[in-house]
Amino acid sequence: MHEASIVLSLLDTLTNRCREEGYRSIESIRIKIGMASGIMPEAIVFAFQAAKQDTIARDAELFIEMVPVGGSCSDCRNDFEVSEAYVINCPLCGSPSFKIGKGYELDIVEMEVN
Amino acid sequence: MKVKVVTRILEANDRIAEENARRFREAGVYVVNLMGAPGAGKTTLLEKTILGLKDSLRIGVIEGDIAGTDDAERINNTGVPVVQINTGGACHLDANMISEVLPDLPLGELDILVIENVGNLVCPAEFRVGEDVKVMLLSVTEGHDKPLKYPLMFRESSVMILNKIDLLKHLDVDISKIKRDALSLNPSMRIFEVSGKTGEGIDRWTEWLKGQRSQ
Repeated sequence: MHEASIVLSLLDTLTNRCREEGYRSIESIRIKIGMASGIMPEAIVFAFQAAKQDTIARDAELFIEMVPVGGSCSDCRNDFEVSEAYVINCPLCGSPSFKIGKGYELDIVEMEVN
Repeated sequence: MKVKVVTRILEANDRIAEENARRFREAGVYVVNLMGAPGAGKTTLLEKTILGLKDSLRIGVIEGDIAGTDDAERINNTGVPVVQINTGGACHLDANMISEVLPDLPLGELDILVIENVGNLVCPAEFRVGEDVKVMLLSVTEGHDKPLKYPLMFRESSVMILNKIDLLKHLDVDISKIKRDALSLNPSMRIFEVSGKTGEGIDRWTEWLKGQRSQ
């Protein structure tokens, strides 16, 4: 539901960066979205197509990398990834003691500019 | 040419949130971002919180709603300054909306500002507004599956207030599961159990809030 606001913020951040550094147009944008961030990539793509029209990113392609939720167990010391948006126990040894390391991303990685 | 841009997508929002936070610090006001689903009891909790604190602290409120001024009128009846934001459809408040209404509040004369976010268990969790603490309200009538269905809200909030505990005897909800799952998502989360209707437990929450303010 809030994907449109997220896309507007993304475009704001990148067009500001381009203005500061003298780039004229954005050709592509690469972002990372964590599976636990509550963001639907389809809605991001849809909002991006609409929002980019009046910006220097009007011809830009958007690439989205989805990041699964993962972490490391404090007991068995193994790293793990899960397919759900949450972790209750270490999927390898069942311990409730673990640290989440990824899955909440909402990050810009890079852009291609002219 | 490829340019590395290592930053949060919401950097534009975060920058305004930091500017809001600076204004709050300068004014010496402690800011609570109160979030929760529609009907969880946010406005009722707020009314009870104001009643409990208004003799010792000066409180102000920003009410966020998609439409209408019902909540702002309820807060206005408690006698504290209140500003209504109507988002006109947006499902959350963002830092810029808060920044725009700050001139309408006597910030320098406040100790605590509560921002009641738009009723929604998803979107508000993502947007910082310059708050000192994110507090989420979950009513026990919403069911014990909510932490695992809406993990981001539970992870982002430092405090969870479980509301409507006066109804527990009528429900099949497992409140210990709510707490267990919430703590597994966010081990440092502080949990209060209250009833906005009977007032039970409200004093523990207001005492905590008072303590935060004086830190």
